[in-house]
Amino acid sequence: MAYVSMGEAHRRITEYLNRFCDAVSYQDSSMLCRLLSFSSNSPSLLSLADALNVFQDASSLIRQSDKFSEYGEILAHLFRSLQSYRVGNLVEAYLAFEKFANAFVQEFRNWESAWALEALYVVCYEIRILAEKADKELTSNGKSPEKLKAAGSLLMKVFGVLAGKGPKRVGALYVTCQLFKTYFKLGTVNLCRSVIRSIETARIFDFEEFPRRDKVTYMYYTGRLEVFNENFPAADTKLSYALQHCNPKRERNIRMILKYLIPVKLSLGIIPKDELLQKYNLHEYMNVVQALRKGDLRLLRHALQEHEDRFLRSGVYLVLEKLELQVYQRLMKKIYIIQKLSDPARAHQLKLEVIAKALRWLEIDMDLDEVECIMTILIYKNLVKGYLAHKSKVVVLSKQDPFPKLNGKPVGS
Amino acid sequence: MVLMEAKCRYLRINTQLGLMVPRGQHIRWWTIRLCRMGTIQIQTITIHHSLQCLMCKKHRIMHPSLSHRRRLEPQTWLRIIVDTRHTRPLLIHHKTTQTRDIPITTVATNSSSSNQASQGRIKTQTNGGYQTTNYNNQSAGGCYPSANYSNQTNTPNQGNYTANPYQNYTPDAANTYSSTVSTTTPVHYQQNYQQWPAYYSQTEVPCAPGTEKLSATSAVSQSFPVPGVTNETPASNVQPAPSYAQPWRQETNLSQPSSQQPAAAVSASNDAYWKHQTPNQQAHYPVPPQNHYQSPLETKPLYETPFQGHQRATYPQGMNSQSSVHQAPLGYRQPTQTTPSVDAQRVSKVQIPTNPRIASNFPSGYTKMDKGSSAAGLTQSPAYVSVSMPKPKGHATAVPEPGTLPKSLCGFVERAFARCKDDKEKASCQAALKKVITEARDDGSLHTRDWDTEPLSTVLNTDMTNTESSSTLISSLQNKSPTKRPKSRWEPFVEKPFVKSASTFSSGVKFGGWNQQNQNNKKSFESFQKADAVTDSKPTYSWQNSKPTYSWQNSAKKSFQRPVKRQRFSGGAANAIDDEASSDSDKDSTPSAMSFATSAEETKRRDSRSKRFEKVQGHSRRNDIPKPMNVGNLHSRRGTALRLGEDFDESGCRSVEDIDWNALTVKGTCQEIEKRYFRLTSAPDPSAVRPEDVLEKALLMVQDSQKNYLYKCDQLKSIRQDLTVQRIHNHLTVKVYETHARLALEAGDLPEYNQCLSQLKILYAEGIEGCSLEFAAYSLLYITLHSNNNRELLSSMSRLSKEAKKDEAVRHALSVRGAVTSGNYVMFFRLYKTAPNMNSFLMDLYVEKMRYKAVTFMSRSCRPTIPVSYIAQVLGFTNTLSEGTGEKETNGVEVCSEWLKAHGASLIADSNGDMLLDTKVSTTNLFMPEPEDAVAHGDKNLDVNDFFTRTS
Repeated sequence: MAYVSMGEAHRRITEYLNRFCDAVSYQDSSMLCRLLSFSSNSPSLLSLADALNVFQDASSLIRQSDKFSEYGEILAHLFRSLQSYRVGNLVEAYLAFEKFANAFVQEFRNWESAWALEALYVVCYEIRILAEKADKELTSNGKSPEKLKAAGSLLMKVFGVLAGKGPKRVGALYVTCQLFKTYFKLGTVNLCRSVIRSIETARIFDFEEFPRRDKVTYMYYTGRLEVFNENFPAADTKLSYALQHCNPKRERNIRMILKYLIPVKLSLGIIPKDELLQKYNLHEYMNVVQALRKGDLRLLRHALQEHEDRFLRSGVYLVLEKLELQVYQRLMKKIYIIQKLSDPARAHQLKLEVIAKALRWLEIDMDLDEVECIMTILIYKNLVKGYLAHKSKVVVLSKQDPFPKLNGKPVGS
Repeated sequence: MVLMEAKCRYLRINTQLGLMVPRGQHIRWWTIRLCRMGTIQIQTITIHHSLQCLMCKKHRIMHPSLSHRRRLEPQTWLRIIVDTRHTRPLLIHHKTTQTRDIPITTVATNSSSSNQASQGRIKTQTNGGYQTTNYNNQSAGGCYPSANYSNQTNTPNQGNYTANPYQNYTPDAANTYSSTVSTTTPVHYQQNYQQWPAYYSQTEVPCAPGTEKLSATSAVSQSFPVPGVTNETPASNVQPAPSYAQPWRQETNLSQPSSQQPAAAVSASNDAYWKHQTPNQQAHYPVPPQNHYQSPLETKPLYETPFQGHQRATYPQGMNSQSSVHQAPLGYRQPTQTTPSVDAQRVSKVQIPTNPRIASNFPSGYTKMDKGSSAAGLTQSPAYVSVSMPKPKGHATAVPEPGTLPKSLCGFVERAFARCKDDKEKASCQAALKKVITEARDDGSLHTRDWDTEPLSTVLNTDMTNTESSSTLISSLQNKSPTKRPKSRWEPFVEKPFVKSASTFSSGVKFGGWNQQNQNNKKSFESFQKADAVTDSKPTYSWQNSKPTYSWQNSAKKSFQRPVKRQRFSGGAANAIDDEASSDSDKDSTPSAMSFATSAEETKRRDSRSKRFEKVQGHSRRNDIPKPMNVGNLHSRRGTALRLGEDFDESGCRSVEDIDWNALTVKGTCQEIEKRYFRLTSAPDPSAVRPEDVLEKALLMVQDSQKNYLYKCDQLKSIRQDLTVQRIHNHLTVKVYETHARLALEAGDLPEYNQCLSQLKILYAEGIEGCSLEFAAYSLLYITLHSNNNRELLSSMSRLSKEAKKDEAVRHALSVRGAVTSGNYVMFFRLYKTAPNMNSFLMDLYVEKMRYKAVTFMSRSCRPTIPVSYIAQVLGFTNTLSEGTGEKETNGVEVCSEWLKAHGASLIADSNGDMLLDTKVSTTNLFMPEPEDAVAHGDKNLDVNDFFTRTS
């Protein structure tokens, strides 16, 4: 840290104060954003932070002028936060920033037009990021991380400010998305429900009116929620919306969406091309897709085991596991086709023993009872058409379309 | 018509529900409070449709013990669970009027019935009798635009009160209030209201009227009286505050400015302390209001002690059955009330949640008056007694000083004035008051008399003759039985938009009495005012300097209580008891407060009553110890905690972290191995708590016991309680919880199992050794089989370490999960048979579902038939793994076919006489039979009947 003279520090602080006040009075949102965005680590903010550390009594500076003292509360907390941030005391920084955010939101409420929405976005974003960092610091000190939770409730408050009639309402979705991020991180996903309800049912919101960026994020998160609920058609629509509308140059975002969209599509019987998986570096799905194509149960199980941690963390494990039935279906179909080649007349009768043998080749040991159980499930879920003759241990396939395709419908419907 | 129902369990407490249907207002408040010694859990709340606010269908509910507001969905169940020592079910009657011309609808209260079978149903009935005839007439002041006054009556003993009293009361009260209010200058109000929102969240305004006034005095510098009074005080009296404050303020300003001057510092039990005060107060005048607010501890001491003392005194008179109620739970009551009222203001609608609770104190007061010195027209007083309620708090401290006016007297006077409807009345009332007070001074009863319970009739009767309406009113009042509760302080409220500035009576006139009084008794009056003022503005002092432990303690307690509640530290239920306990103990130290409890009968009753709480008393002083089962039992500890930490900083905003928990921990001394479980309602008594070595024996005893689960559960719970109380977190704790969890599993008691499991998770996380893998398996199974929550499942799966996955039990649990998600019933029942530990007990609870699923699968997929023997084998009806004697086999088949029939399957017999499942027919006919022991609310364990049978 370069040495900053007192005079220089004073100059920098006054300059910042002037810029802040100008930004507010000219309603210059982009300037305000720049002044508030901590995480950008912009040189001007850093040098301001240094100046603040030199010039300890910044609050008196604020008080000196009427122009500044009007935003005294906002600025004082902001300065304190910036100061702590600079010296690496993130918890302190967060606490001060929270106060700042409260004061800012209060002020924002008073501004009639929505000119400062962008700045509010920055505040929402910063508080979440700062809370995450502060939590990291807390955890490393052996304390319980709780700041993100606090940030969540603050964001909820901000949402309350925006959720009303008037021009500010278009900002609500941004805050919602920040809330989603917070809740997903915290693992308190159920808290999303209330926000979703108000976004989707409140008459003041017209979904199309929101910025595209927020719509995509929103659809991504709600899509993920639907994946949790195993409501695949809904997840499909939401994630597809996100995919269609997101910026095609943002490969990382596309990959994130695909991470969920692929399992969903697989569950609906739609198999992606290998190029897609390769392009977006989704190798973990390669074997799963392969297993589905081949009806290779062993491969599927291996793939699941191999990436178990990853799948569990992203929450698609259970979805992928359910693909097993489709793999069985594929296997049956293979057996059926082979039988048809050798003896077309009796091809529609699949002996359970034959199936058990096929499974044994895949190194999966099942006795007839279990095979029978699997077959009843397949028939029940309409993956196989036909019936099972218990006495003779034979599955009798329907002559027409014995293995119906899912065609976008979830299994078992 | 039944408006509301509630199921109560373990009731020994009076439960009261108050509802108010304001005219022209949208919001309806529900107050549910339980008194004394109750631990309350409101689980769900139901409101019948017809109870919806007529205008917007909104409900709100207040739950005092949680001290937070909750929105209600219609059609949920209200269930109040109170756990106490004596069990007594109760009935609660709600009376509601919904006639249009009646501004006040409502009321509630409870009567307790000895009939257990009644199960504490709370009923609301329409009662047309509640006509407020006078209402319109009296609104002459025009002050209540859409004010809704709800009139609540509380008859703790029996629900048989007549509508009459209310009729009259309502208008009366309304009028009084409005008039009082009208004195207020609109400006002031404005201010008040603006302030409210800011403070409502943390400000509890205790403001006994007396106190208020004082702050008002200081408010000359235009500070708002109410907020001026402490943030943290439990103040139940929020509402009255504004209305009262106004008149007083004016008075002081106009007629007697001199009185504001901190002249003689007197009063209170501590002279020195008051003196200190004086300069202080002066200093404060110029200061903007905020300063006053800041010290949350302010009035504490004053309020506390006296209040309790007062309360105690009153109790004895109450009916025995009631006594619990009276004593009740300051803690409960106060928080709730405050919140709603404040909120109401904020909303700018005047909704005052009626507070039946308060009422409960009153009856006793009445009774007393009956017996007491002032027999005249005691019946009338009720209407305002309630108003005075706050008083006691304020006055007691000040009491004994000779030459001072007791604060309660102020309250009395205030009450009297509040009752006056117009100038004429006021004037006569003033004269009467003067007389009464002078008399009292002369015969020395000024300080000994209980002004709080002093009937207003002495003063008002004379007035009443003046106006016809008022006389009617009175007469009707007199009809009232003494036990009847008049309107509570809470009910009437001032509408926020008080446009009318026209005062019905001039403040000068109104307070003329006072002034004169002052002159007569100048010193005392001044000092007393002083005292009040001091209380308001600089309370910090009081607890800082004045050291009588009890008061200090109390103040601290109170101050503490509030923040604690906010933070939701405790179940809240405990408060009441604590307060009560402290009141008991405090009584001793404030003899003055009790001086009015004179009659022998009273004393006797009081004694008998206090005996009931002997234990509580004893403890509260010696050891305010943490309560078991209740992590947040700060309340019980705070007393000690604060006592211990006398060096706390004065700000009053100490945080929980500052408490020395170790110092609060109980060390048990009980040597008995067997102990029944009691949900603690007060600080635990070390002599009833078993130390660790005894607990260990107790655990062994339970493990070896041959008795049934209920017994074991009870014993284990008491062991757990003792552990919690003593804050023992070690292998023993783990063992106890593990044992209990296993037993609960065995008995299928999932709620208990869950409690244990969540504790175990915490204990394991602390690194205490135990069978963590075994329980990890259980929790996996539980999630898969019972909670059906994918996210939870995923997260608990991802939390499993590599080693954990190698554990047999965990592996088993994981494969069960696999079988369940894929629907592989064959696998499931195989796993069922090979389950390690107690996994199969958890699986037990899923067996029925799995079988049903399996049979639907089979009957849909298989044609034409399946032998029942096969089904029995696959679905675990027979044990194929064991050598399986033929007899056993057929037995299983029989059970299976019974089961199939019960689920609607159609069975046919083949040529060999073997049963076959006719799949085609069965497909459409299968159904899940209704479980026979189903309960409406889904949780069988919470069933009331079940509970009664179990406990009795």
